[in-house]
Amino acid sequence: MKLSMSSKIFAMLLAAGLVAGCSSTGEMTDEENRGSDVEAINQEGGATVYEGGTEQGGISSSSMSEAERQAEQSQQSAQDALRDVTTFYFDFDTSEIKPEARDVLVAHARYLAENPRQQVRLEGHADERGSKEYNLALGERRANAVEQFLIINGASRGQIETVSYGEEKPAVRGSGESVWAQNRRVELIFD
Amino acid sequence: MTGNERETISTGKAPWKSPVAVSVLLHLLIAIVALAGWSWSEPMQEPEPNSISARLVSPEPEPSPVINEQEQARDREQQKAEAERQQAEAERKQQEEQAREEAERRAQEEARKREEERKRQEAQARERAEQKAREEAARKKAEAEAKERERQRLLEEERRRQEEAKRKAEEERRKAEEEKRRQEEAERQRREEEARKEAERKRLEAERRLREEQLQALADEARQEQEAEQRRQREAAAARAREAQMLSESQKYQSLIRERLTQAWYPPSSATEDMTARLQIALLPTGELASVKLVNSSGNTAFDNSALGAVRALNRYPVPENRDTFERYFRQFTIEFNPQRLR
Amino acid sequence: MRLVILMTQTQVHKQFVLRPLMLVSLALFMLAAGNARAELLIRITEGVDSAIPIAVVPFAESGTMPQGDKISSIIRSDLTMSGEFNPLAPGKMLSLPSSRSDVYFRDWRMLGQRYLLVGELTRKGERLEARYELFDINREARILGETTTAPVSSARSLAHHISDKIYEAITGEPGAFSTKLAYVTVMGQGDNMRYRLQVSDVDGKRAKVRLESDEPILSPAWSPDGKKLAYVSFETSKPVIFVHELATGERQKLADFRGLNSAPAWSPDGKSLLMTLSRDGNAEVYKMELASGDLTRLTDHWAIDTSGAWDHAGRGVFFTSDRSGGPQIYHMERPGSEARRITFGSRYNARPRPGPKGDYVYYVHQRNNDFVIARTNLNTGEESLVTRTGSDESPSLSPNGRLLIYATERDGTSVLTVVSADGGETYSLPAAEGEVRDPAWGPIVR
Repeated sequence: MKLSMSSKIFAMLLAAGLVAGCSSTGEMTDEENRGSDVEAINQEGGATVYEGGTEQGGISSSSMSEAERQAEQSQQSAQDALRDVTTFYFDFDTSEIKPEARDVLVAHARYLAENPRQQVRLEGHADERGSKEYNLALGERRANAVEQFLIINGASRGQIETVSYGEEKPAVRGSGESVWAQNRRVELIFD
Repeated sequence: MTGNERETISTGKAPWKSPVAVSVLLHLLIAIVALAGWSWSEPMQEPEPNSISARLVSPEPEPSPVINEQEQARDREQQKAEAERQQAEAERKQQEEQAREEAERRAQEEARKREEERKRQEAQARERAEQKAREEAARKKAEAEAKERERQRLLEEERRRQEEAKRKAEEERRKAEEEKRRQEEAERQRREEEARKEAERKRLEAERRLREEQLQALADEARQEQEAEQRRQREAAAARAREAQMLSESQKYQSLIRERLTQAWYPPSSATEDMTARLQIALLPTGELASVKLVNSSGNTAFDNSALGAVRALNRYPVPENRDTFERYFRQFTIEFNPQRLR
Repeated sequence: MRLVILMTQTQVHKQFVLRPLMLVSLALFMLAAGNARAELLIRITEGVDSAIPIAVVPFAESGTMPQGDKISSIIRSDLTMSGEFNPLAPGKMLSLPSSRSDVYFRDWRMLGQRYLLVGELTRKGERLEARYELFDINREARILGETTTAPVSSARSLAHHISDKIYEAITGEPGAFSTKLAYVTVMGQGDNMRYRLQVSDVDGKRAKVRLESDEPILSPAWSPDGKKLAYVSFETSKPVIFVHELATGERQKLADFRGLNSAPAWSPDGKSLLMTLSRDGNAEVYKMELASGDLTRLTDHWAIDTSGAWDHAGRGVFFTSDRSGGPQIYHMERPGSEARRITFGSRYNARPRPGPKGDYVYYVHQRNNDFVIARTNLNTGEESLVTRTGSDESPSLSPNGRLLIYATERDGTSVLTVVSADGGETYSLPAAEGEVRDPAWGPIVR
């Protein structure tokens, strides 16, 4: 009887998953994979890490002048530098993206837009205060906010996966505002 | 002697001439008549039942008016003739009867006269004898009376003599008494006079004193009333003070008891402000608990038990030493446990 | 502390109305009337705040006793934890009776004790027999007595059973000392974290690990029959709700939708669970039938709606929502009906846990810069603090609603603390390895 219930739920989940759309890979069980370049590693009670493909996004090559190319290259490195920042912070109990984060996120968005096969995982977090369950939802909202921003700025939904850890995975242990400020974040995880 | 004589008696009888027989006959007649008079109660019997007119007296139904008048006349004629015939017959019989009766009557009359004579003579003889006897008796009586009178007279005389003597003695005595009385009277009057004077004097004295006293009394009364009033007020004040003292004393001990119980009560954490347990406490004058009874449950066993526990935890209740106060307030009283959180 | 004095009517009259003669006659009448007159009434409006003194005498022992804490010691700890009792330290006892015949009530009275527990333990093969008696010292009466046995290995259970009986006999409410706790411990650093879901006795002893993972585990929730735990596990790198049968260790994935699968809460009949899912785009509260898997969405708001919990009657649902700008507690009369806001006093109120009698709801509450546990009286709307420690979260009520367990920071680490539901006594569970969080108080299982 247990088995049938389990498989019933599984079927339900499957159906729900199909209905919900197949842009994210989170709803499937470990057995089912999406895409050949995505592999599930280390199933046993551990974290699953997805390896994404490293195909280059298509930039149609066209002839450019040397000056243009140089300008483009310096712009590119500036963008790359921006993209070094992969963690974005929030104020208490908000999911509002800070102004200083915008440019960086735009750079990320552009990058994603230019590399359509690039996947990114957004991990939302909250500081330890208050309710765990609420923090889980807050982390998700923060991740969703960043996701939305990226999409508006060029990335496509299929590249983005979001997950919230709430207060469960702080970046810094301890208490006090300086600690908490560092934990109220969304992390972008490429590769 | 006789009024109506019966026919049965008058027929078949021969007149006798001997006085005894006549007397017997007459006595018999009397007896029979008397008996006859006794046994019948009817006042009047018809003397001649043969008479037609008598028979018609009883009420009869009216004859039918339909009868023929002629017939009626003829009937009347016949009746008249009959009546006349019968009338003649009756008259004839009556005359015979009368003659017979007359004879009888005469005979009876004579017998009667003879009897009367005899009786009269007898009576006379008797009378004479009686007369003699009476005279004799009278004579004797007179003698006796005379004797008696004499005797009485003598007695009377004696009595009078004695009386006289007595009277004299009495007289003497009375005189003596009177004399004595007079003297006494005089004495008495004299004394009275004296006394009266004395009394008069005293009265005046008394009056004077009385007046004085009255004035004094008025003053005293006024003073006493004042004192009484003061005393009443003092007593009232004392009573009030006692009362107040009892009250304040009782309040003092109430406070003490309340304090002790507050420190001894562990209200359960589930207690709410609407829980109330009432216990009736009886104490001994020593302050020891005599009995405790739960009279109003709070509805929560734990709460009730906590109240009972608190009451029983006190070894000795602080009670006033004054017995009256104790009896009044603390012999038996009620404790109510009802938490009011002032947090 | 204000003392209320009530004077009877008769006394007032006496003082102001009587004259001398009437006074005398009235006094005579009063003395004669006896019971018929109005009596003195003394009102006691408060007592001592402290716990009831009870003497739990170490049990007499015959036979080999199991290792570990003594039965009477466990009982004393239980009673202390309840916040309602103050057990006498054995060192202060003048005598150690084990039965009525050895009891001199006067001695215990002098020590200020209200109740006395004496008993005897006898080893009978692989079983332990306990004979015990509870006395009301002032009444010098026995109010409880029993002889009961248990396997030697379950000596602690025997002790908790006796604690339950004592608690119930004195307070009239069922004891919660035989209940279990579920919680999560966290150890390690950096990327090497060890998360363990554990179940222990209510005093933290006999802890047993039920799930071990490299990834977070949170929100354990007991089924009403005490046989299953629902929880959220990140073992698949995302939050997923599992139902875990304790006796067999069998698990079942209950909710694995896109986005959040969190905050599982059992219905009182054990047939459905509330959960927070964001499959429709944002966090909403859902109800899922266990048997069929049918899902019903209960909230419909762009705000975060989470932490659904059935109210005591099992008809309405409390939840957290930040639809007003910050998280607040809301209540739906019926699942899916219009939500009524419950909390107002602060900008952050989350994670509602209703009391079992429908009188209070408990939650995490921000007060200045602290996060504490508070409760709102559902009848009066009055809010009061339950804890004051400062970094408090995850409140969970004992089954009788008397006690509340929660996680708090102490000495830089997270520990569990038990507090009276009205915010009085506290009792800290012994520290375990690592951090201890997310406690869930199990039900009373008969």
